[in-house]
Amino acid sequence: MTQSAVKVDRLEKTLGSNKVLRGISFEACTGEIFGLLGPNGAGKTTTLRVICTLLAPDAGSVEVLGFDTRVSPQEVRRRVGVVTAEIGIYPRLSARENIAYFAELSGVLDGEVDRKVDAVIDRLDMGSFAKQRAESLSSGQKQKVAIARAIVHDPAVLMFDEPTSNLDVLASRDIREFMVESKDRGKCVIFSTHVLHDAERLCDRVTIIHEGRVVTSGTTADVRGSFHDLEDSFLSLVEAAG
Amino acid sequence: MREILRDRRTLMAIGLAALATPIVLFVISQISVRTASKTYTVGYSGTLPTGLDVLFNATALKLERVDDPAEAAKHQVDLGLVFTPSGVEEYYDPTRQSAQLADVRFQTLLSRYDAAKIAASLQEKGVDPSVLNPLPVTVHPLSSPTQAVGNSFLSFFLPYILITMSLTGGLSAALDTSAGERERKTLESLLLTPAPRSHVLVGKILAVSAISLVAALAAIASMLIALTQLQFGGNAGDAFHVQLSPLAATVMVWLAVLLAASFSSVTIALGTLARNFRQGQAYATPLYFITIFPASIVLFIPDFNPNLAYYLIPILNAVLVLRDAITHNSVAWQALAVTSVSLILTGALCFYAALKLFSREALLVRS
Repeated sequence: MTQSAVKVDRLEKTLGSNKVLRGISFEACTGEIFGLLGPNGAGKTTTLRVICTLLAPDAGSVEVLGFDTRVSPQEVRRRVGVVTAEIGIYPRLSARENIAYFAELSGVLDGEVDRKVDAVIDRLDMGSFAKQRAESLSSGQKQKVAIARAIVHDPAVLMFDEPTSNLDVLASRDIREFMVESKDRGKCVIFSTHVLHDAERLCDRVTIIHEGRVVTSGTTADVRGSFHDLEDSFLSLVEAAG
Repeated sequence: MREILRDRRTLMAIGLAALATPIVLFVISQISVRTASKTYTVGYSGTLPTGLDVLFNATALKLERVDDPAEAAKHQVDLGLVFTPSGVEEYYDPTRQSAQLADVRFQTLLSRYDAAKIAASLQEKGVDPSVLNPLPVTVHPLSSPTQAVGNSFLSFFLPYILITMSLTGGLSAALDTSAGERERKTLESLLLTPAPRSHVLVGKILAVSAISLVAALAAIASMLIALTQLQFGGNAGDAFHVQLSPLAATVMVWLAVLLAASFSSVTIALGTLARNFRQGQAYATPLYFITIFPASIVLFIPDFNPNLAYYLIPILNAVLVLRDAITHNSVAWQALAVTSVSLILTGALCFYAALKLFSREALLVRS
């Protein structure tokens, strides 16, 4: 039984003089991979940043598991884990220390930190490099550390913003498998990407945005419609929009 | 904290703080001893008055006969003297420090010689030489003059070290934990955690303050150890060791805590404004001048005795309180209270500014 996890309603956001979001609405549910698709500059990253409370909406609202991002930003952050393309981890800490640091910041109780860190290290198969300093890790290993720190507090909502853009084929496959596994665990996975091939394979439902507006929403099959694949459908919709 | 402590730049700053002061003190001590015990050369012509050569030798002035004392005083010797039947012509170059010191020694020597000659002459004529000194003075110094010289030295040197090390000791860590977070793209992940931004900022300030304090205390401790080993002044009776009283040391540690906290907030705020570490360094550079200026006041105006209002000025107040504690071995508690409140308020204001910067959306958008 799926339930609404993230509800975005007529969201607007201006950064500087640039109106980035112009009334975005969608809903992502538990136990699904929800694709947030669009070309570069469409407003995907800004939307995710508003959802995870890094930015405040100018108009409209965002709720995560019933918590409004304006009213209860800390409660929202407790329930969200975010993985981005920019893998910023502390280079002088080991992989394990990076994860433990974020576990503590995320409110994991002192007695629980070691157990939870060990659990994510096992889950992501990081045992072989967990004690190595992050600066000596490969890009794929670093991305695993970034994922581990995002999920160490076991959030119900996981957001991936172009997570594979800097990774090789094998590391990208690991990320995709992890997203599917998370969905199977009942998590709400929001996958923001412009790689439509990945989206088509993974997403249950998608929303396509362009220039800050929703172009279309629906199941992946519905959005693809009569086109050969999602990419053709996407191009047709984006060109029609503007 | 662990991340900061593994940063080579931070470790180097602490190491430098511990090593730099003893090295500087060692050099000063060596120069001080060498200057006091050095023999200067006096080039002379004419007939030397009887007995004067003994006084020259006793004052570490080496006599050397030359053809033209005025010419020799330019480079060859430190002082040139022409003895004539009517007196002495003296030649020296005031731009040379050795010439200045030789001149001082010669003037002292000459006044002793004159006094001895006059006394002998009066005695020959049956007059008591004490008529030359109708009001004899017996000096009773209220504290050790040697210690006073040492305190005077410390009163300008210590505030300078304390302020410089409190600032530079934690600067690298402050920029690493602010501008560095943006540069290595960890800032967004950090702000995504449920921890309130004020808590994150307090954690950063505490970590940087701890580093600053360790650097300042390392500099102070190494300096105190060095002072017990080093000798200043001459080789014999006028040589002295510089000592810091327990009261002055306690005041210094308290000021170090306040300065470390204030500087941490300022440097983190500046680092938060910067896009990267290098830009953070550029922003922080003016701080060096702003902080060193008050320490210089004590150096250039040693008798600067301000009223209580001056103790409201951050950094200058720390310099003044520390100077007073070292020079007089006592604390003006009112001045210390005003100084403490001033530095705590400054730290709080800087913290507020840093928090405002840290809470701005532009912080992320810029990155």
